[in-house]
Amino acid sequence: MTQAMTASLSNPAMQAKLRRTGLMALSIALGAFGLGFASVPLYRYFCQVTGFGGTTQRGETVPGVLPVAGKTMSVRFDSNVAPGMPWQFKPEHTTQTVEIGARAFTTFIAKNMSDKPVTGTAVFNVTPTQSGIYFTKIQCFCFTEQTLQPGQEVRMPVIYYVDPKILDDPDNKDTQQITLSYTFNPVEPSANRS
Amino acid sequence: MNIVKSLLAAGLLALVPALAGSYPAMAQEAAAPAAAVESMAAPADIAAANAAAPAAEKVAAPERMKPTEGIGMPSPGEYTIQKQFSPTGREALWMHDALLLPIITVISLFVLGLMLYIVVRFRRAANPVPSKTAHNTFIEIVWTVVPVLILVVIAVPSISLIAEQYKPAPKDALTVKVTGYQWYWGYEYPDQGIPEYVSNILPPEKALENGEPNQLAVDNRLVLPVGRPIRLIITAADVIHSFAVPSLWFKMDAVPGRLNERSIFIEKPGVYYGQCSELCGVKHGFMPIAIEARPVAEWEQWVRSQGGDPTAKAGAEPAKTADTAAPVAPAKI
Amino acid sequence: MTTIAADAHGHAHDHHDADHKPGFFARWFMSTNHKDIGTLYLIFAIIAGVIGGAISGLMRIELAQPGIQYLQGWASIAEGGTASLDQAYHLWNVLITAHGLIMVFFMVMPAIIGGFGNWFVPIMIGAPDMAFPRMNNISFWLLIPAFLLLLGSTFVPGGAGNGAGTGWTVYAPLSTSGSPGPAVDMAILSLHIAGASSILGAINFITTIFNMRAPGMTLHKMPLFVWSVLVTAFLLLLALPVLAAAITMLLTDRNFGTVFYDGLKGGDPELYQHLFWFFGHPEVYIMILPGFGIISQIVSTFSRKPVFGYLGMAYAMVAIGVVGFVVWAHHMYTTGMSVNVKMYFTAATMVIAVPTGVKIFSWIATMWGGSLSFKTPMVWALGFIFMFTVGGVTGVVLANGGIDDVMHDTYYVVAHFHYVLSLGAVFSLFAGFYYWFPKMSGRMYSELLGQLHFWIFFIGVNVLFFPMHFLGLSGMPRRYPDYPEAFAYWNQIASHGYTIMAVGVGIWFVNIAYSMMFGAKAEGNPWGEGATTLEWTLSSPPPYHQFETLPVIEDNAHH
Repeated sequence: MTQAMTASLSNPAMQAKLRRTGLMALSIALGAFGLGFASVPLYRYFCQVTGFGGTTQRGETVPGVLPVAGKTMSVRFDSNVAPGMPWQFKPEHTTQTVEIGARAFTTFIAKNMSDKPVTGTAVFNVTPTQSGIYFTKIQCFCFTEQTLQPGQEVRMPVIYYVDPKILDDPDNKDTQQITLSYTFNPVEPSANRS
Repeated sequence: MNIVKSLLAAGLLALVPALAGSYPAMAQEAAAPAAAVESMAAPADIAAANAAAPAAEKVAAPERMKPTEGIGMPSPGEYTIQKQFSPTGREALWMHDALLLPIITVISLFVLGLMLYIVVRFRRAANPVPSKTAHNTFIEIVWTVVPVLILVVIAVPSISLIAEQYKPAPKDALTVKVTGYQWYWGYEYPDQGIPEYVSNILPPEKALENGEPNQLAVDNRLVLPVGRPIRLIITAADVIHSFAVPSLWFKMDAVPGRLNERSIFIEKPGVYYGQCSELCGVKHGFMPIAIEARPVAEWEQWVRSQGGDPTAKAGAEPAKTADTAAPVAPAKI
Repeated sequence: MTTIAADAHGHAHDHHDADHKPGFFARWFMSTNHKDIGTLYLIFAIIAGVIGGAISGLMRIELAQPGIQYLQGWASIAEGGTASLDQAYHLWNVLITAHGLIMVFFMVMPAIIGGFGNWFVPIMIGAPDMAFPRMNNISFWLLIPAFLLLLGSTFVPGGAGNGAGTGWTVYAPLSTSGSPGPAVDMAILSLHIAGASSILGAINFITTIFNMRAPGMTLHKMPLFVWSVLVTAFLLLLALPVLAAAITMLLTDRNFGTVFYDGLKGGDPELYQHLFWFFGHPEVYIMILPGFGIISQIVSTFSRKPVFGYLGMAYAMVAIGVVGFVVWAHHMYTTGMSVNVKMYFTAATMVIAVPTGVKIFSWIATMWGGSLSFKTPMVWALGFIFMFTVGGVTGVVLANGGIDDVMHDTYYVVAHFHYVLSLGAVFSLFAGFYYWFPKMSGRMYSELLGQLHFWIFFIGVNVLFFPMHFLGLSGMPRRYPDYPEAFAYWNQIASHGYTIMAVGVGIWFVNIAYSMMFGAKAEGNPWGEGATTLEWTLSSPPPYHQFETLPVIEDNAHH
């Protein structure tokens, strides 16, 4: 019996068994490692689908929704520039009241204060975060890069609508104002990068 | 320590013009806070520069409010949560003091009591022959179900508290933008037309002179009205900060590239202090928050003193629809 | 619970072979013996613990009174020249970062999993060694470069001064754009290596426990310590790779221009927090579950009773492990998450209190009706049960998202996690140390010094950490080198508590030295009839190679 037992740990069958379990454990670890990286696109997708963290939606040219008469939403516009971005960047109006479901239009004004052409992109979110899923942008300067020549000032439009489904969402029953916030930050223009 | 003192003294000197009057007029560009802040003295320089800027001061600001001991600040040797001055703060305080604290105290004492009893009753001298009981389905069910019930009792008010705290401010609420920088705060009143001004920690000597608590006192406070719903929109320029005021049960992270929103409602006039609550680098411990809550009339006076218009209402701008608006300047879309 | 059919003493003729030890260098530097590797881990953890504890001592000295007293002087030494105030503040951030990382990755984990796990898991399941002895050796030796990298990082630039000042959480963007210099890179690399070490260790434990149990040792007969290590190993396997991925992206953000966590460039700093806490929350169970296992063994031994509700105890740990993976964002209540998310994490977090309560009450029920003797390990275990309860109930308070708004990032949180770790995990470490010291060393410790150690340490840590609840309630934020006068009272008391605790640790070292030199020779089973697990069937210390003959486990039908 003693011999059988001692042998059992060094015999090939046991060794193979250990290797198999070890490799399975290793593959769990590698899977978790992969999941860590996969979380980057997954998280982005999750935010887009659920509006998590105030992620806004991107819509078709014509909203497939109808305005709801008499129901309005106040929309606030907030602007920021990242450190090192030599632009002035402000909404033309800080707030506007829109009919829920109707296409609305607003303008941001950006000016390059430096003596060099500067390209920027804008990141954005809305608050309260639970309203993100209902805030749809049809046109936005934030969809692409913007380049401003030295001293150039541009007016940049945003076309958006608030989805009427927000009226049925209990989490948004107290939402009377949605704030849309942009932060412009400098980037290397794509043309130069490639 | 000498370096500390000389730096602080330098900061103090730079601040004298800013603090000699009541509130400095703040007419600097919003870009000013972006200026690099190298040392303790630098932000003070900014403040001084702000004060020096010749803004047309039509209305005198109300006198700087004196804080009251034990209100809006920690008290020496305190072992409780600070007194609360907002409705949600009082609700939360009740939940902690009347529900959670008794429950956890009773549970801890219950466990301690059981253990003390066991130690005496079942010590080897008193109970030389151990029982061999290793199961009792009934008692196992009890100690699973009873904690579940206790947790349900806690969870119900807890969930409704969260809902209450998350209730967005109405559209006509005062909106103030708070921006966290390394290592100071910037406050802007977009509807009242008050551009961003910065708020730096006061050096200890100056805090003492003002009768304010050291480490909490700031040069330019965030001035808010009492009894009006307020929407704070919060972001940061560099790293994550956290805007926290314990006596208003308020804490919200300031995240670069992202806006957070939280409503706040202050019930009583007073100075409410807080401190940055997310590690943000070297001077994380030295960027306090001070809210000066004033009756609406005084707050309006303050707004005018800053060149702002207190009557400006949010949401007044009529809606333009994209269909009727004329196409505007050719930004690339 | 189980009795051992094979009579270890009956095979005395094996002992000559079994005790054949390699030479000093081969034994300690190329060791593949689980007991030697366990010893190495314990020595390493003690050294790291002394360093991490000394760092907290510096922090308590500075915090004993308001104002900046010593930081600038220490920074001047560290920087080699008169340090600026900014460098002093930076040093503070380096201290808090180093204390956290050292205690988590280089003290608790190596001691509880590497040390006691290596020593006793194979023995308790009747295995001759770990499944992959050479990998076991690599696991340990990876810790050395990891630790040296972390210590080394304090001597290279990390922003305003030398060292990584990001906090143990290494939040972006403070850890990316906010901390120039190689220090943070070194600290991150250190975590990579320590993580790899732990993952290899976890693979080893899982393989060992699944395949190398002695005949008759079914999963449901394994001692609870083995169960706890098994659950912990799975947590390590799932959590640490996520941390590795998260901090790899930190490295690429820092050095290769990626923007995973740059909120200004389309990334999201919140993503880092999600990933970090997806690791970080299971990590706290990684640190405490083996402690649960140790406490179960000790309570049963010194009550002379089998563990009450054995299956409930085992599956409570599994439940804690599983639920521990879906509650991570309760560390992020103030980040601005949506209302529904906050409600979910509040509810989910509270669920954990249920299996934790099952454990506490089962320990109490184990003692109920027992015949208790209060030897040093048992006193530590009793201390653990109560202190862990206190730390646990404050966790229930913090679980409430709406309440956490005022407590997040204050000393209340510091108090909470020190009660579950410094008074929980560390008490279980000391309990395990005294419990197994006779087995590991072959000598008895001094009971007098052990009891003295307990009482002084117990008083010390309570004086140290209990006032932190008050500081937190009153609003004092974490990670501050200075504070308003109002916080002075409790801070000063806390610093006195540190001194008392340090005296307790000193007594422990005296006890170790005394026992190694003059301790009475330990029998195979110094604890008597309550000690039923396999390690007590072997001599003290066990033969260099145990279980050349596998023990056969018989069911004595206690179920």
